[in-house]
Order: sequence, then C-alpha cells, then structure tokens
Amino acid sequence: MEIDVMKIARLSRIKVTEDELAHFQKEMQNMINMVEKLPDIPVASLAPDKDHPMGLRKDEIQRSLRRDEVLQNAPETEAGCFVVPNVMD
Amino acid sequence: MNLYEMSAAMLARKLRNKECSSQEITQSVLGRIQAVEGQVGAYITLTPEQALETAKQVDKRLAAGEKLAPLAGIPIGIKDNICTKDVVTTCASKMLHNFVPPYSAYVVRQVERAGMPILGKLNMDEFAMGSSCENSHYKKTKNPRDLTRVPGGSSGGSAAAVTAGEAILALGSDTGGSIRQPAAYCGTVGLKPTYGSVSRYGLVAFASSLDQIGPLGRTVEDVAMLYSLISGYDPKDATSVNRTYTDFVAGLNDFQVNGLKIGIPKEYFGDGVDQEIKEKVLAAIKLLEKNGAEVKEISLPSTDYALSAYYIIACAEASSNLARFDGVKYGYRSGKGEGLTEMYEYTRREGFGDEVKRRIMLGTFVLSSGYIDAYYKKAKATQAIIADEFRAAFEQVDLIMTPTAPDTAFRIGERSADPLKMYLSDICTVTVNIAGLPALSVPCGEIGRGLPVGLQMIAPHFGEDLLFKAAHYYEKISGLRLADVAAL
Repeated sequence: MEIDVMKIARLSRIKVTEDELAHFQKEMQNMINMVEKLPDIPVASLAPDKDHPMGLRKDEIQRSLRRDEVLQNAPETEAGCFVVPNVMD
Repeated sequence: MNLYEMSAAMLARKLRNKECSSQEITQSVLGRIQAVEGQVGAYITLTPEQALETAKQVDKRLAAGEKLAPLAGIPIGIKDNICTKDVVTTCASKMLHNFVPPYSAYVVRQVERAGMPILGKLNMDEFAMGSSCENSHYKKTKNPRDLTRVPGGSSGGSAAAVTAGEAILALGSDTGGSIRQPAAYCGTVGLKPTYGSVSRYGLVAFASSLDQIGPLGRTVEDVAMLYSLISGYDPKDATSVNRTYTDFVAGLNDFQVNGLKIGIPKEYFGDGVDQEIKEKVLAAIKLLEKNGAEVKEISLPSTDYALSAYYIIACAEASSNLARFDGVKYGYRSGKGEGLTEMYEYTRREGFGDEVKRRIMLGTFVLSSGYIDAYYKKAKATQAIIADEFRAAFEQVDLIMTPTAPDTAFRIGERSADPLKMYLSDICTVTVNIAGLPALSVPCGEIGRGLPVGLQMIAPHFGEDLLFKAAHYYEKISGLRLADVAAL
C-alpha cells in the first residue's frame, strides 16, 4: 500500500515541507510494510461491547478546576478566554 | 552499606526501629543524585526541597507516634508523563516544555498521602514513544550498568534511577513494554499491572486502551509494596475496575513453588531472540522446575502478528489523543503561519519530535477512509484472537514465562537511525498490553560484561499476587545479586 504523506500530514495537522517529503515517505512506507503483517481474518466490529459497558459516574455537581487554573498554561488568554488566531476576516 | 543502596522494605523497617530518619534517607539519595546524575541523566526535573520537606513531616509524625503507611518516608521518582501539581510535567517533549499541571495524578496523590518524598521527574522517550530514552527532547539517559548503552524505554529514566541508587522506587508507564523492557536492560524489577487496576487519571495519554502505570524497584518485595499503594478503584478513570485490592506483601514468604504450572510459549523463543538470552531464561525456569514447579510447552500461535496489531492500535489511539496538543490550551505555540489551521500545523511541526510525528501520521493513516478496514479493524480482530489464546493457555498453566526482551541493552545511537529495528525490542512485551494482562520482569542473570537479562512472568487478569510470590521466590533461590545498585 502506498501512502500519500502530504495528505496524511494535512489530516494530522503537522506541517511537512517538500524537502522533508522523501525522508518521511520512506520511513512511513517502511512502517506500513511492517504493520501489514496481519492474519487473513474477517475484520472486527467496532460496536461498543454490550457485555462490558463503560461505567459512568452519577451526574453530580462537584468541585473541579477553577477558571484561572484551566487557563494558567495557555499560550495566550484574554478576559478569561483562550485566544486563537483569527478564523474569519 | 549506604542508605541509598537499601531496599524500600529494609528502609521502612529501619525507620520504624528509629535506626534512621526519613531526612537521612532522603539526604543519602539526594547525595547519590548529586554524585552520579551527571553520568546517568535520569531526571528531567529535580525537586529536592519538596522531598526534604515531606521527609521532615514524616519524621515529625513518626516521632509523635503516628501510624503511617508502610512506604512513608521512602523517596520515589516519578516518570515525567504523570502529572504533578505545580511541578512541570514535560512528557520529555518540547510541546509541554512549560506545562505546570493544576492537579496531580491519582497515583501521585496516593504517593503523597503515604508520605513518600518525591525526588523529581524522570526522563523518558517523548510521549512514551520509544524503547531507548533517546527520543527525549531533553537528554539521553545512560544505562547505569554500562554508560555507553541505553537504559531502554520508554521508562528509561525510572529504571536507570532505581538501578543507580538515584531513587529507592519509581513510577513508570507501560503501553507496549515501557516498564518491563527498561527493567530488563537495567537489571531491576518492573511490573506492568492488569489493565484497570491502577488509575490512569493524570497520566498523559498515549494509547488509552493499552497504557498502564506501574512500579519499578530493586526487589520484588519493593515493587509489591508500591503496587499495594497505587492499585485501587478510582471513579475518575472510566476504565478503573471496582474490586477489592489486597495487600500484596503479606503472603510473599509463604509461597511454595510445588505444583505451580509454568507455560513456555515456543513462539517467544524463536529466531528473533538472542541465543544467550534464551539460555538464561530457560535456566531460570529450569531452576523453578527443580524446586517443584511443573513446566509445560504451550503455543500462542498469533504472537507473530502482535507487533503489527500493537503498532496499529497504539498509533491510532495516539493520533486521537495527541490531537489535544494544538497550541491553544497548554504548552508550546509556534509564531509561524497564517490563521488557525497553519498555527496548529506549525505548532505540531515544531513541538513534536520525529518519532511522535511518524506515529501520529501512521495512526491517522490506519484510521483514514479506505484503510480503516484493512488496518485498524483487522488489528482489533487480531487483538481479540491474541487475548483468546492467552485465555486458553491459562486454562492449562498458572503463569507463562518468556524473555522480557529479545536482546540486552544496545549501544546509544545504534538503532536511532532505524525506527523499525527499535520496534523489534518490544516483540516479547506487546502481547501483554494487547490482552490487558499483568506481567513482571525480574533479573535472571547477565551476559558478557555485566549486561542484565530479564525474565518475564505473565499472569491471568488480576494475578499480580501470584506474580509477586513466584518472582520473589525465584529471587531467593537464584542467589543473584543483580538488583543491587550499579557501581558508578
């Protein structure tokens, strides 16, 4: 199977430049060749496992992180919000 | 014997008998760090003041006659992908170079409640992706048994610190062998617990269905002590299993090996495994047989497919888990690019190392439209087959024993140019994560000029008790002194 590295990099939101392309292409291709070694069996159903449902906690109000704690690691904040580059003009 | 060379169990007894104080123990370990850390490079961040303050409090409370947890006053190091409130937690990545968690992981809170002084945060492969610690953005950790070699990974800092006497105990995490393989390479003991028995709350996620936090120490008893502290139900981890977790230390010495049924899966002794390693591991099993265990050859026929299934599932989950690193909520943000999407793309280009990028891209590929059936869904089906084969094997035997790694610690730089070669050092360990089983690596000898070999013992789900007993028993009869602090 041949991989389109530029497309996968875009989907992964990782900038890959033209001069790195050959390098990543070779490495990714080797990885894919390695993981192709799988038995010839029907594919699995990805439906949730009915016998082992994930436990949910009760929906109760409890103390969580304060807003300033949530924001303390953000590269840029303003008026108690995360700041991101413009998404529209 | 220096205090830093002693086991946690010995130190706990000394503390109770007032033969030493926690401050003396902590000072001894900090002194050792000062002496050898320049050579070993196990830590990313050191927190000596915090450790000494905890030790001081423990000494006060012991003097006042309080009854404290068994590990109170015993210093520990924490892998740097486990969140520590107010102490930077980098995952050995540039992406989280300045991340100071506003909360502590469940296991860290357990450690703090018990009164264990935290020495600092340990080096690892970036986001736990790697088998040598060479993928750290910050430093390369050296193997204390031979400084020209890797300590293994990804919990290489944890294994190296314990081996060098720079910590009495350590916490690591294991997604495909990341506790057991470095434990084997460094000649120390490491446990990958049953999936769901230790809360992952506060562990920076790599592959959530495979990740598990676990203990490393210089003796099986020490590892059992730390596992007793960190195992338990935590409602904050939706996969945490609500059951009774006992004390795993009490019955260690009562164990008799008579009648213990040991399975040897022939697939783990094939061409990919070094001949001398096979001999050491088989000799260890032979010794248990001589003492009364029954040994039986078994087969786990789908083992050959495990590495493929593992890398597909782990990378698929990583591609989703690591989507959160986008330069908005925490960590690194690039100043390059126009608009939001380019900000994401440049942040992730500059913040992640190559191995992390490769795995995110592989994960994105195996989940992408047109390929998900051939790769991801097939890997999940293979996972079910591998788990079934283990289930069937455990109807015949109590424990399965294999080498932990197919080779001994390799030289620094030897495999960094070839990611595929690096992946091969996980061939004996990934199946355990795929099946959610517990497994322990215990030293079983050395090859050449002192390179340790690890014996991997695998138990059915929640079989940690038997793992500790059998491994502790082996430790006693083998007469090996490998788990001693490395001479540096």
